[in-house]
Formats: sequence, C-alpha cells, structure tokens
Amino acid sequence: MAAEIPRLRRYARALTGDDGEADDLIQDTLERALARLGQWRDGDSPRKWLFSILHNLHVDGLRRKSRRPPHVGLDSVGADQSAPAADGASGRDLDRALQLLPSEQREVVLLVGLEGLSYAEAAEVLAIPIGTVMSRLARGRGRLRALMGYEGGYEGGGKSGQASLRRVK
Amino acid sequence: MTPERHISEAELHAYVDGELAAEDRAEVEALLAANPAEALLVRDIRDLHEALARRYASPLAAPVPERMQQVLARMPVHGGGEHSSSKRRWMAVAAAALIAAMAGAAGYVVRDLTAGARRPEMAFIASAIGAHSVYVPEARHPVEVGAAEETHLVQWLTKRLGTNVRAPTLLSLGWKLVGGRLLPDRGLPAAQFMYEDGAGRRLTLYVRKEAGFNDTAFQFAERDGFAAFYWVDRPLAYAIAGRLGRDELLALANAVYGQLEQH
Repeated sequence: MAAEIPRLRRYARALTGDDGEADDLIQDTLERALARLGQWRDGDSPRKWLFSILHNLHVDGLRRKSRRPPHVGLDSVGADQSAPAADGASGRDLDRALQLLPSEQREVVLLVGLEGLSYAEAAEVLAIPIGTVMSRLARGRGRLRALMGYEGGYEGGGKSGQASLRRVK
Repeated sequence: MTPERHISEAELHAYVDGELAAEDRAEVEALLAANPAEALLVRDIRDLHEALARRYASPLAAPVPERMQQVLARMPVHGGGEHSSSKRRWMAVAAAALIAAMAGAAGYVVRDLTAGARRPEMAFIASAIGAHSVYVPEARHPVEVGAAEETHLVQWLTKRLGTNVRAPTLLSLGWKLVGGRLLPDRGLPAAQFMYEDGAGRRLTLYVRKEAGFNDTAFQFAERDGFAAFYWVDRPLAYAIAGRLGRDELLALANAVYGQLEQH
C-alpha cells in the first residue's frame, strides 16, 4: 500500500486544490483502510480500494462543509487557495479551472485523465454506472476546455462540433 | 448516398482513453482525418492530460510524510506472507527511486522529447529503460510478484492495465521469467516483466496502453549501454530492454511479438 501513496496524494491535491487538505484526506484514508483491513480481499487492487475509501471520505467532507456555510456550493469549495506555484500562472489556472467543476465531474476527469483508471475501474471506485462515468467525463472535460481557453471551448455535443473554432492560444 | 458516419462525443472520449476495440479505434482514426473539429477535441483532451500530469507531478517524487508511514507500519502483513514492514518501506523507497531514475532517464532523451510532445513514444522508451535500470540490479527485490505466482501476476496486471496482458515464454531462447510488477507511467499503469538467463543477465519487457503513438513497426533505441526495441500492438505499447547486442535483443523482441500477436 505504501506504493500507492504518491498517487493518492497527487490525486487528492488535484481534487482539493489544497496541499494540506489533500494530505489530511490521505491520512484519513489510510486510517480508515487500516480499520477496515478485514474488508480487503487478497488479490484485490489496493489502489482501487484506497481510491474508493478516499472518494467516500471526500464526499463526506463536502457534505459537512456545505452544511456549515450554507452559501458555499460544492463547486467553489477550496476554490481560491493560493496554489503551490510549481509551474506558474498556467498551473494556477488549471487549479482554478478544476475547482470550478462540480466535484463529481472533477473526480471522473482526474481518475481517468490523471490516474489512468479505466472507465470500469472509475465506475467501481465511485460506485456509479459506466454510462455516468462517461457523461460526467464529457461534461467535465468540455467545461475545463472552455475554462482553460482551449481551441473550441467545446461544451459537449459532438454534433455541433463545427461551431466556434477560435484559436485562443 | 449514405450519409457520412458521425463520431459521437462519447466515442471520441473513449478513443482518447483507450477504451475502444481495435476496429472501432481504426474507424474513429479514419473519421478524425476528415473532421477537424473532432480532431481538435481529441488534441485538447490530450493537452489537458499532459497539463494535469505536469501540474500535479510533485507528490510522485515527494517523500511519504512521517504520519502516513506510521499508519502503514501498523498495517499487518498481507499478500503471500512476504510483505514485512521493511519490505513495504522498501517499496515506498523504490517508488521514489524509480521516479528519480525515470526523471534521470528522461534526461538523456530530453532533446527528443522537447522536439515535440507529439512524440510520446520517446517518453515511453525512456520510461521503459528507466524502469529497467532501476529494478534489474536488485538482488533481493527485483519483482513485486514472482514467477511462482505467474497466473496471479498476469491476472492482476491485466486488471490494472484494463486490457489483456500476457507474460511471453522465452525459455526456448534460454530466458526464464523472474516475475513482474506494476509501475506508474505518466498517469497510466504500466507493467514490467523481468527475465533472466543462465548467466544471470536480465532483460525486461515493459508494457503500457499506448496513447496516441504513431509507429507500429519495431524501433530500436540505445541509451547508456541499454538497448531497447519498442513497438505498438494496439491497444498496448511494448518495449523490451537489456544490456544486450542488437541482434540478440531483436531475436527476443521477435519471439515476444510473435507470441503476443497470435492472440
């Protein structure tokens, strides 16, 4: 399981947009994994198991947060943390854009696009059908693409793909 | 006239994520050539993935915080009785060492890499050689799962890579399987199989889902005394690496390709 920690931390950082919050989440994930080790069957992928624990804790955390300040929607949780300035302005743009996604889209975009999980694995981790993984992925990527000022600002709908091809970069 | 087949948005995403069957993949590729807007989406998604991998790379090389290690130390033994806590700690160290080594390995192809992110195959070869150079010198822990558990190893890696992975048999050429392991490679799971010959020489086969690679023919690369052959057999990319002569390695690459191709 030790081998999984670097990737869990990476995912949690991208997910929360905050290093401290991310590491707290991983700490809680490991504690819960230890407490529930009996549920882990030999041969199961420790990664998938740990990611699903992390997911559950993250959702619990969001629920608690959204209860306290009734105004803060899921979308803006953690939005304006000053991010680690690893690669400058464009990196912070990415942090911000990610935080502007609804949490459930952000999770899918990161599990598939950053952690390389298959659709089936992401579905299992998040306990949702594969079709839902796919639709969240398309919506999340479309929105990120618009937020990041990528080429078309493509917002869903392969059908209208021709729409607005402005080159921003 | 039949109306032109349209690529659905879901298909485009599935294409980028390596979730399409080979024939659908080929079909999408052909259609992309004639549909610039769709091709743009595909490129943007790939750009986005690269941006994510760059932005959030730092935890991969960072040491595991003490408080996390303390929880790990309390985890009981699992996975075949061999996982002592010192082994788990060793695995964390090995992961960090691997990242560092891969960064180093990537260094000597850096000119190729900066020549264009469009050449992901260069990064793939660098990862394969990097992983080779890290694990091959290991006397006690060269692999994560040994050849004695070959069935489990192959099932596990197949599950993790999300597609059929097999460990070819190279006994007829004098190489026996040592075992294998799972590795992270730019956000994707990769597999490494290790083989050893009677003289104690080792070679590794590195396997990962290809991600927009172009070449499907054998390509030869030689870096720092390591030789490697690389090829794509969708949905997977392969690299076989060792401190061997080109001809010997080519014979092995052919044997591997021949076995895996049949299925």
